[in-house]
Amino acid sequence: MIDFSLGPTQKEMQGLARRFARDRIAPVAAQHDRDASYPTDVIDEAARLGLLNLRVPEAQGGLGLGVLDEAIVGEELAFGCMGIYTVLMASDLGVTPLVLHGSENQRDRFLTPLVGGGARLAAFALSEPDAGSDPAAIRTRARREEGGWRLNGRKMWISNGALADFTVVFATSDPERGAAASVALVVPADADGLSWREVHGKLGQRAAPTFEMILDDVHVPEDHLLGEVGDGIRIALSTLDQTRVPVAAGSVGVARRALHEASRYATERKAFGKPIAQHQAIAFKLADMEIRLQTARWQTWHAAWLADAGEPCGHHAAIAKAYASDAAFESASEAVNVLGGYGYVDAYPVAKLLRDVKLNQIYEGTNEIQRLVIARRVIREAEA
Amino acid sequence: MKIVTVIRRVPDAEARVRVEGDDVVLTGAAWVLDGMDEYGVEEALRLRESGIDAEIVALAVGPDATEEALRTALAMGADRARLLTTDAAPDPLTTARMLAAAIQEEEADLVLVGGKQADWDSAALGPALAETLGWPVADWTTSLAVDGDTLQCVHDADVGNEALAMPLPAVVTTQQGLNDPRYPTLPNIMKAKRKELRAEPAPDASASVRTVSRTVEQRERRRTLIEGDPREGAHAIVSLLREAGA
Repeated sequence: MIDFSLGPTQKEMQGLARRFARDRIAPVAAQHDRDASYPTDVIDEAARLGLLNLRVPEAQGGLGLGVLDEAIVGEELAFGCMGIYTVLMASDLGVTPLVLHGSENQRDRFLTPLVGGGARLAAFALSEPDAGSDPAAIRTRARREEGGWRLNGRKMWISNGALADFTVVFATSDPERGAAASVALVVPADADGLSWREVHGKLGQRAAPTFEMILDDVHVPEDHLLGEVGDGIRIALSTLDQTRVPVAAGSVGVARRALHEASRYATERKAFGKPIAQHQAIAFKLADMEIRLQTARWQTWHAAWLADAGEPCGHHAAIAKAYASDAAFESASEAVNVLGGYGYVDAYPVAKLLRDVKLNQIYEGTNEIQRLVIARRVIREAEA
Repeated sequence: MKIVTVIRRVPDAEARVRVEGDDVVLTGAAWVLDGMDEYGVEEALRLRESGIDAEIVALAVGPDATEEALRTALAMGADRARLLTTDAAPDPLTTARMLAAAIQEEEADLVLVGGKQADWDSAALGPALAETLGWPVADWTTSLAVDGDTLQCVHDADVGNEALAMPLPAVVTTQQGLNDPRYPTLPNIMKAKRKELRAEPAPDASASVRTVSRTVEQRERRRTLIEGDPREGAHAIVSLLREAGA
C-alpha cells in the first residue's frame, strides 16, 4: 500500500502556511536580512496562529503534530524566508528531546508554558567551540551536587539561545568516558551563572539570532535530567534523526522559491529575440531545478512518514537533509545565474536564497556527517 | 439567529490557466475558498463576536471537492457546513434555486454571499438568491450591523454609497473593504476536523439558462521588462499605458 496524497487537514495547514509566508514573511524578509534583526511581529503572529512549537503534545496543550505535518508547514514558511523559519524550526528542535524522552511531569513543566500564549521559544545546545560533528568529544561538564547538577562550559551556534525559555544542554559527567557519561539537562533561561553572547556577521539567515552559551557554575535541579546518566548523546542523536526532516523541508522551500524566481524571470527577460527560457541553456537549468525540487520533497516526506510511523528514520532523514540542502544550494546558485547581474544584488531575492541555504548544508549535522552516516549503513549491509 | 454564508470554490489566483479550444483547462490548479465569500464568513464571525447569539452555517453547491473550501470556512470558525453536490456547472439562477431550499430549511435569518465570483466574475448569485427567496438584498456592502430584526448596512451605489435599513431575513453581498478576513489558526484547522460537514445531492433544478455557444477571450501577458535609468523607465511605462489606452 502506498499513498502520496495529503489529507484535508494537511491541505488546510499548507494553505495557512502558504498564505502566512506570502503575506507576512516574504514582504519583511529582505529588511530583517539587511538589518540582522529578529522578526518579533512575524514570530508573535506565527505563535498566535499556532505555527510555533507544533510538536508540543496535546496532553501539554499543544497540537501534537507529526514530522510530516511539520515538513508540510516548513516548506511553505521557508519559501517566504529560511532565516525566519529557522526561529520556528529551532524551537521545535528544543521541544523534540522532551517529546521523545521527557517524563510526563517534565513535559508538563517545560512544554505547557510554550503554547497557548505569546511567542515562547525553546533551544537545543549540543555543539561547542571545539566539538561539533563529534558529539562524544563535548567538554561541557556536568557535576553532581546537592539536589542536582552543576554545569560549566561553553556551547556554540545556539539558535534562539538567549530568547528561549529553556535550552536542552548536552554535557558530560565524565570526560574520560565519552558518550557513556553524557547527560541531557534542561536549563531554564533564568538560571544563575548562565550568559549569552550573540554571534554576529553571519553570511545568511540573518533574521535568526544565533548565540554562544556560557555556563558558569549553573545549577539545575535533579529533575531537569532527561532520561538517565549516559543517555545524553542518544537523546541528541534520536532528536536530530527527526529534526533533520524539517531542515530538509526548509531546503525544499528554498529550492521551490529559487525555481519560482528563476522561471518567472526567464519567461520575461528576452535575449536574442525571445524569452531566455526558450533558450535551451536556461530551459535545462529550470528542468534540473524542478527535478531536484520534486525528488527532494518526496525524500523529505518519506523520511517524515517513517518518523511518524515510529519506524527508524535516521538513514532516510540523513539522505533527505543532505540531498535537499545540496539540491537547494545548487538551485539557488543556478537561479543567480539565470538572473545574471540581478541575481547578484539584493534588490532581487535570489542572492539571499543562496546565502541562507548554505547553512542548511551545515546545521543539525553537516552534509559531510550525513554522508558518513549513510555510507556506514551501506557498508554495513555490504559486509553483512 | 442563524447566518448562512454561501461558499464557492475558485481556482487560486496564482493557478496556471490554460486554454484549449474554447475551454479553460484547470487541471492541477489549486482551488480555494473565493476571497469574496471569505468576507462573508468573516462578517458572520464578527457579528457573533459582537455579542449576537448566532449559529453560522457554511453552504455550497458544487462537486465533492468543494468540501475543501467548506473546511476553510469551518477552520475560520463556522459551526457546520453543508454541501449540495453536483458535477454540473449550474448558472447563478439555477444555483440560487438549489441553495434556496436549503436556506429555507435552515430557517436562516441572514445570508451572506460574495459580491461576485472571482473566476467567472458573475455578480448574479446574491440578487438571484434574494429574488428566489423573496427577501430584500443589499449588494456590495462595506459595513453591516444587526439591530434586532433590522439589518443596517452601507453599500456602494452607482454614485457614492447609501446607508440602508431592511427587515430580516435578508441577503447581503460582501466585498473588499467590509473587513479583513482572519487566517484560520492551526488549532482551529484541527478543531474543524470534528465539525459536521454534511454532503447531500443537490436538488434538481431545471436550468433557466442554456449555453448556446461560447468563446474564450485570451490576453497574453506582455512580459516586458523595462531596464536602465528609472526616469527613462517611467517615461517608457507611461507611453506603454497610453498605447494600451489606459
